[in-house]
Parts: sequence; structure tokens; C-alpha cells
Amino acid sequence: MTLVAAMKGPAIDYAGLSPLFAVLAGSITVLLVGLFPGRAVQHALVPFLAGLSLAVATGLAVVHWQTGDLDPIIEGALAIDTLAYGISILCFVTGLATIVLGLRSTAVPETGSGEFHSLLLASIAGMVLLAGAEDLLTLFIGIELLSIPLYVMCGSEVRRATSLEAGLKYLVIGSIGSATLLYGLALLYGSAGSTEFGRIAAAADPGDPLFLTGIALAAGGLAFKASVAPFHQWTPDVYQGAPTEVTAFMAVATKAAAFAVLLRLFDHALASAQPDWGPALAALAVVTIVIGNVGAIRQRSLKRMLAWSGVAQAGYLLAGVVVGTRLGIQATAFYLAVYLLMNVGAFAVVIARERRSGTGDSLESIEGLGAASPWLAWPMTICMLSLAGFPATAGFFGKFYLIDAAVSGDYEWLGVAIVVGSMISLVYYLRVVAVMWMSPEQVELPSGPKRRLRPLKPVTGWSPEADARAQPEVTGVAILMAAATIFFGIVPQPLFDVARDVGSSIAGLG
Amino acid sequence: MNVDLGILIDPLSVFMALVVSGVSFLIHVYSTSYMASDRGYARFFAYLNFFVFSMLLLVLAGNFVLLTVGWAFVGAASYLLISFWYRRETATQAGIKAFVMNVIGDLGLVLAAFLLFNETGALDYAGVFGATQDTFTENDGTLVAACLLLLVGAVAKSAQLPLHTWLADAMEGPTPVSALIHAATMVTAGVYLIARCHPLFEQAPAAADVAAIVGTVTMVYAASVALVVTDLKRVIAYSTMSQIGYMVLGVSAFAYGAGLFHLMTHAFFKALLFMGAGSVIGAMGGVQSMDRMGGFRRALPFTFVTFTIGALALASFPLFAGFFSKDEILAFSINRGGLYAVLGVIGYLAAAVTAFYAFRMVFRVFFGDEVPEARAAASGHVEHHAPENPSTGEAEDTEVGFPGPEHHYAERSLGMRAAMAPLALLAVVGGVLSIPGVTDTLEHFLEPTFEDSAFIEAEAMPSEGAELAGLAVGGLMAFAGIGLAYLLYLSRPGATLELRDRFAAVHRFLFNKWYFDELYDRLFVAPSAAFGRFGRTVVESALIQGVLIGGPSGLVRAGATLARGVQSGYLRAYALLLLFGLGGLALYFLIAAS
Repeated sequence: MTLVAAMKGPAIDYAGLSPLFAVLAGSITVLLVGLFPGRAVQHALVPFLAGLSLAVATGLAVVHWQTGDLDPIIEGALAIDTLAYGISILCFVTGLATIVLGLRSTAVPETGSGEFHSLLLASIAGMVLLAGAEDLLTLFIGIELLSIPLYVMCGSEVRRATSLEAGLKYLVIGSIGSATLLYGLALLYGSAGSTEFGRIAAAADPGDPLFLTGIALAAGGLAFKASVAPFHQWTPDVYQGAPTEVTAFMAVATKAAAFAVLLRLFDHALASAQPDWGPALAALAVVTIVIGNVGAIRQRSLKRMLAWSGVAQAGYLLAGVVVGTRLGIQATAFYLAVYLLMNVGAFAVVIARERRSGTGDSLESIEGLGAASPWLAWPMTICMLSLAGFPATAGFFGKFYLIDAAVSGDYEWLGVAIVVGSMISLVYYLRVVAVMWMSPEQVELPSGPKRRLRPLKPVTGWSPEADARAQPEVTGVAILMAAATIFFGIVPQPLFDVARDVGSSIAGLG
Repeated sequence: MNVDLGILIDPLSVFMALVVSGVSFLIHVYSTSYMASDRGYARFFAYLNFFVFSMLLLVLAGNFVLLTVGWAFVGAASYLLISFWYRRETATQAGIKAFVMNVIGDLGLVLAAFLLFNETGALDYAGVFGATQDTFTENDGTLVAACLLLLVGAVAKSAQLPLHTWLADAMEGPTPVSALIHAATMVTAGVYLIARCHPLFEQAPAAADVAAIVGTVTMVYAASVALVVTDLKRVIAYSTMSQIGYMVLGVSAFAYGAGLFHLMTHAFFKALLFMGAGSVIGAMGGVQSMDRMGGFRRALPFTFVTFTIGALALASFPLFAGFFSKDEILAFSINRGGLYAVLGVIGYLAAAVTAFYAFRMVFRVFFGDEVPEARAAASGHVEHHAPENPSTGEAEDTEVGFPGPEHHYAERSLGMRAAMAPLALLAVVGGVLSIPGVTDTLEHFLEPTFEDSAFIEAEAMPSEGAELAGLAVGGLMAFAGIGLAYLLYLSRPGATLELRDRFAAVHRFLFNKWYFDELYDRLFVAPSAAFGRFGRTVVESALIQGVLIGGPSGLVRAGATLARGVQSGYLRAYALLLLFGLGGLALYFLIAAS
């Protein structure tokens, strides 16, 4: 008689997981391909393969797009609903933009093209996990898979001290955040007796101090990732130190994933305790809006300014989480998409200028940009106006949606805070616009021959003719993002429809 | 309520459209030469054509709404063109002055339209005028109010007292602008308005009386000021106000044909005078003061002949265009008797003054000793002065918005001659359209518009004998005025200086234009400016900037400094804050739990 130890493995929905697999496969492939030397491989093939895997993943996510509150797969560990896919697609698109922006970066060859892209894809895989986490363990694995490659990427410009400092700072503070989060998750498990979100929601006891302390610590840990004040202090330092394409990636994709998991954890697993955590998160949101906007005012560095602005935007986004309604989820998802467009666009311009101007990412680098290269100045202008929430840009509808969610969720004062914050934000957004269009060019223009047979390749320094053409891919990204910002600012309906789909992924909300 | 984009084509609007487009055409031709070296050449013609469009809209409008649009548009065009040389501070201020005064007029027009709409329920001319007889009794209070408000519009646009001060300052604009807008077309819009609204005024004779008095007073006032002003263009500008006074008297006395006839002949000879003045100013290298002119007869023969023709027409010298048109107004006015007879007699006296100042210009500019500029022009060169503001004598910024370095005058510019010659011809023969007892082409043409008028019947018209007598008196007045000018300026040079010294007070009073500007400064400008200063220092600086803006922005600034201070860059500091944050969060939840 033979004893057959039957071990029943979990049923795996490969189709649903396919976007994740595509990214992971891409990560491993580029790491291996990157071992081959040669310019073509390093500069063309590796980025191409990385981009391809992201494109495939995006395609797969679109194909498997299915609205409604779907049952999580893998024994309830991972959701493959529209919230997960929607946020994943945002991360994929950001990843693609990062690859394009990094084509001429110094960070990529210094790390090794294969390694850099592999880390990027691994981090995106972590985001996919995080966006779909329906289980405390998945959540934590996602956070770590997201974070660890990012620590490395931040320090990837190894010959620049600030880059290393950024990586180290991010690592240390990130570890504190992770530890806090893990502690909080442990307490939640202890209180609810399960790691699955569905069961936590069922077993939640809002009067239990253990449970509430768990929420507080988990909120703190996640707030750290989303750069919500007062857990935001790493943001300006790290954003400024990291290679700019990494900063762009961090600013957009990390935030998207962090808010996805905030939405899922608070609006699903902890929904019953909303009256308890609502006011606390709302208070955090207001503090974040104020600190972010006020902190941005005195910045001379564009990257630091965008970092503080990112903090402020996190405060706005938190409003969508606080209310715990379907409208809140929709507004958050909508804003995250808009946030991608305007931030990637702005960072693209910063990258273009920082490689050319010789003044790094300081405000001086864009002085007189309007006259010198309007193809960069216009996207920057549009992105700044959109960040400030001007009508006819997508940012306007984003803020409008969030305020709508806050007001209909009985947090009118949060709506007021968003408006006041936006008013303050005009100070630093419009300054960028003013500097570009209204100050004289700092750089002496070389008086070259009037007619040339073909444009000279810029060797060093900066020339107005070469500027726009020198980095067509960076300019292209900036223009594309700005165009999309304007497009969705005038025709927001497609994005509204997607946001509505995303809102359907968590059932039982008001 | 529904307002059409209605256009009204009747003899009156066709007549106006013909005068406007005809004179505009000649002035465009003139401008191609006169403005040739101006840096704002394209801008000039853009504005000029915008004006023509607006003016045609004004005269062709079929209802009060469209009329108001055209009315406001010509005001805007006038503003743009007066301030055309925008580097001249005096020019921009003149533009603002004209615009403000015109807006007062626009307001009157809009309020009048509102009153009429309120009473008759219509805004189109046919509807309003058709309902006038049934809605209003004679001299109905509302109707008189509406007519007076219309009069406010007319007075502002036509530079009649008391809204007249802008026109003399409007001479800051380029000379073709003065010729077109501030002599021939726009300023006569008030006359057109009264003629167009004649059913209203006939039903409200009280308002018509007011209009007639305003016209007469302006006529006398402007003629008196024109006696002493030394700026060549300003003399013509005051003459324009005076002549429009005649027209207003004419149409208010319900002598529509005569008033519009004078409008037409005035357009010819006044545009001609301005063009001649432009030519002289060109030869003077931009100087406009008659004190510095003299003896241009030989240097500028063409300008001399055409300008003199214009002056003769203005002086209503027998057989010139102005002779017939002016006398027709006065004959009709006297024929109506009563108040109008008095006004008519005053008109004859003013005619003598007109003749005097017209030839004061001719004698001072073209006769007497040749000035250096005249000698230079005679040899085919233009004396170029350092650019200076003709009204203040200050040196000027020549960057942009300033006439170009070249000066043009008729003797050397075909375009200018091509525009002046036809006008000179018209100023001579324009009168044939309506010679008493011989022709009445214009009256006949306009008749359909005014057939509803009670004053078009034959019995309202002065008899032929009366008209001829009027012509004789008018001719005498012209001779008297010209003769006096000849005596004072040519046969006894220096006599005017003696007169000026003997009647210094009178001269000062006239030279300061009866102190209207000073009066308005005291009455309106100074209080407004004081209020504005109060608003700026107290409301704006202290309250808004200091408290409302300064408070929150100071708070934000302090916050920004604080945020930078906290952002030390040290990990341990960050970790500490993190700890505080976590502690706070945890504390909140624990308190919430209990």
C-alpha cells in the first residue's frame, strides 16, 4: 500500500497573471542579454527588449481587462481586477517612458544596461503585485520587490556622490518604513486572525486597540511610500539625488502603486473602520497639502520643487482614499493617470535641460527657454499649468474630480484644503512658466554661420539649433505627455470611462 | 426679444455711406503717400479700415442695437488712431480723453435705446418710429428724456458742448485721421443720429430746441476759440466743431436736407483743409504752430491753391460749396421764427467769424515773410527738425510708434495731390446739388426718408426770395470776415499783436478755450484722481496688499522657511520626525478606540 501524499497546489490563473509574467520574464531576459558586450546590445537591444516586455504586459493587461469585483486568484492572494490592471498599466507606461528617457543617460551605462533595465522591470513587477495585493503577505512582498531595486537605481550613478547619498538615504528610511509597515501588518493579522483582505474585513473589530494600532502603523508605512507628510522628508533629497529618469519613475509609478494598495487596504480590508481612520487620514492629507505646497515655494532646484509638488499631490490624492467611496476610487485613479502625464512631461523637460544647460536642474537651466526652444518650453508650460489645475488641462478635471469626491464624501473641508493648496501652488508653478518665457537667455548664443548643409552634431555646450533635435526622444516624450494633458483636458471622457471601470473593482462601497 | 442683424438701406443711409466711402477712398489715397515712411504703415491702414467698416455699420444699421455697436466701434477706432503714435504721451492721453468722452455718449445712446424699447417694445427703427405717434403725446416726458439721451450720444460723438474738449486734443493723431474721422465722417455721426431719429425729435420739440441751442452755442464758442489758437490743425478742429454746430442747428430745426447738405460739403472742404494742413506740416518737418509758418505761397503752390479753395468754401464765399449749404440752414432757421430766428441770426454773425479765422490761417501760413522751411521747400528739400512733440515741444523718443524720418508734402507726392485735387473740385462745385430756385437734387433724393416729417411741406420752406436774401447776407458776412482778416494780417501786420495786448484778458480767456479743460479738471478729474489715490493707498496698498494678501502670503513664506529649516538633510532628523508622526498616528487611533 502506498501512501500518496497528495499535496494540493493552489489553482493558478495563468492568463490573469500573464502581465506579471511578461514583466518578470523581461527582467530576467534583459539581465542575461545584457551580459553580451557591444554597443548595439547595450544601447539598443536591451532597452528594446525591456520596452517590448512592458508593451506586451500592457497589451495583456488590456486584453484581460474585466470590470467588476472579481475573486482574487492564487488562494485569494492576488487580485486581477481593473484596479490592479489599471494601476499596472500606469506603471508599465511610466516604465516605457523611463526607458526612453534613459537612452542617453549616464546612469544606465554606469550601472550596466542589462542590470539597470532588469532592476527597473523587477521594480515594476513589485508594483503589479502591490496593486493587486489581496493579502498582507502579497502586500509586503510587493512593497519589498518594488523598493529594493529602486534603492539600487537611485544610487546607480555611482560616480556622483549625491546619487549614492540618495540611494543610501532611501534605503535607510525605506527600511524604517518597511519595518513600520510590517509591524502594522503583524498587528492586523493578530487582531483579525487572517492575512486575507476579505477575511480581515469580515473579522474586523473597530473597537480593538490591537487592530487600530495595526492600522496606524500600516498607514504610516504606506504613507511613507506615498510620500505623505510627515513621512515625506526623504522625498526632496532622494528625488534630487537620483538620476532624473529614475526620479520620474519613482515619482509616478511608486506613487501609483502605493495609492493602489492604500485604496485596496483601506477601502476593502479596513472599510468597516472608516469612521476611525477617515479623520486621521484626512488630517494627514491636509498636513501633506500644506507642507508640500509651502515647501515647494523656496526651491531653486526643479527636481526638488517637483518633489515637494509630488508631496502636495499626494495630499490631494489622499482625499480620494479618505472618503472610502466608489467616487473616491474613481477620482484617485483618474488623478493618478493625469499625474503620470504631467509629471513625466515635466521631468522629461528637466532631463533635456540638465543634459544641455550646464546648470543642472536649477531654475536657471530653463531661463529664456521659451525663445530658445519652444518645443520644450510649451510642454513644460502645459505640465505646470496642469499641475496647478488650470482649465483646459487634464489636471483641472483631476482636481475637480477629487474635490467632488471629497465633498460628496462629507469631507467638504478637505475640498477647501485642496483649493487653498492649489492657490499656494501657483506661486511655484507659475514661477517656472515666468522664468521660461519672461527672463532673458542666460547662455550666450553662438553666432554660427547662417546656412549649413546639415546640422552639426553638438560636441559640447549648448546650441539653440541643436537643442530640440539633440534629444528627439526626450523632446518627443515631453510633447506627447503635454499633448495628452491637453487632449484629456478637453476630452476627458475616455479617461472618465476607464476610471469608472476601476471604481467597479471593489464592491460594497457607497 | 429678438434683434436682427438688420441693415437699413434708405436714401439717408445711402447718402451717408456714399459720403463716408467716397471721402475715405480719397483719404486712403492721400495716406499712402503721407504715411509712406511711418513705421506703423500696416497698422495704420488696419485701423483706418476698421474705422470705415465701423462707420458704415453705424450708418447702415437698421436698429438701435447695431447702431450702438457701430457707434462704439467708431469710438474704439478713433481711440486707436488718435493714440496711433503711442510713444507720444500727449497722444495717448488724448486718445484716453476721447474714448472716455465717447463712452459717456455711448451710455446715453444705450439708455435712450432702453427707454424707447421700454415704451414702444421695439428696437428697430421702423418699429420705434412707427409707434412714436401712438405711444407718446407731444413733449411726453419719457420721449424728451430719450431724445436728450440720444443728444448726449450725439453731442459726445460730434464734439458739441459740453462734451467737446476731446476733439482739439484728437489732433494728436496723424493728419489723415484728423481729416477722415475728426472732420469728415465720424464727428458728423451725431448729425446723422438726429436726422435718423427725426420722428422722435419732431414729437419732442423741447429736446430739438435744446439740440439747436447746443449747436448754436458750440458754433459760437468754437469759432471764438479758433480766432486765437495757433496750432494749425487745432484751428481746423475748432472750425469743425463750429461747422457741426451749424449742422446740428439745421437738423434740430428740422431742415434735414440743409443739415445733411452742409454735412456733405463740409466733408469735402474740411477734409481738403486738413490735407492741405498735412502738406504744410510735412514741409515744416512736423511743426504745427502757425507762429513759425509763413510765406509758403511760392514754395507750395498746389497746397496754397487747394487750401485757399477749402478756406473759401469754409468761409462760405459766394458760389463755393459751403456758401449754399450754410445759408440754406440759416434761411430755414430764420423762417421758422421765434427762437430759431434768433439762432439763425447768431449763425450769420458766426459766419463772419468763420470767414475771418479761415483767412487768418491762409494769410499767416501762405503770406508774409518766408520762413526757412518755406525757402527749403521751395528748393525741393524738407527742413528736418529734431523730432519733437508739436504740442509740448519736448524732444521725442523715435523708437516705435512715431512718424518716420521722412516728411511728405503735396508738391512732391502724387498720391496726396491725387486726393486733394478732386476734393478741391468738389469744394468748388459741390454746391450745385442744391441752389435755391435752380436745383434741389439732394432734397429730392433724401425725400423718401423724411416724407413723414411735418417740415418737408412747401410752407415750412423759406420762400425763394428769403433764401436769396439770406445768400446775399451770407456773402456779405464772408466778405466782411475775409476783409477784416486781410486788414489785420496783410495790410497792417502787427495789428493783431496790439489787439492781443489791449484785450489781454479776452485773449487769455479764448486762448484757454474758455477754461473748459480746467473746469473739468476741477470738477471731475481731480475728485476722481483723489478717489483713485485713496483707493490705491488705503484700499489697495494697506487693506488688500497689506492685510488680505500680505497676511496669508507672509504666513506661507514663513512656512516655506520653516519647511526648509526642518529639511536638514540629516537622516537622524528625518527619523525623529517619522517617529513623531507614527507616535501621533498611533496615539490618535488608541484614543479613538477608547
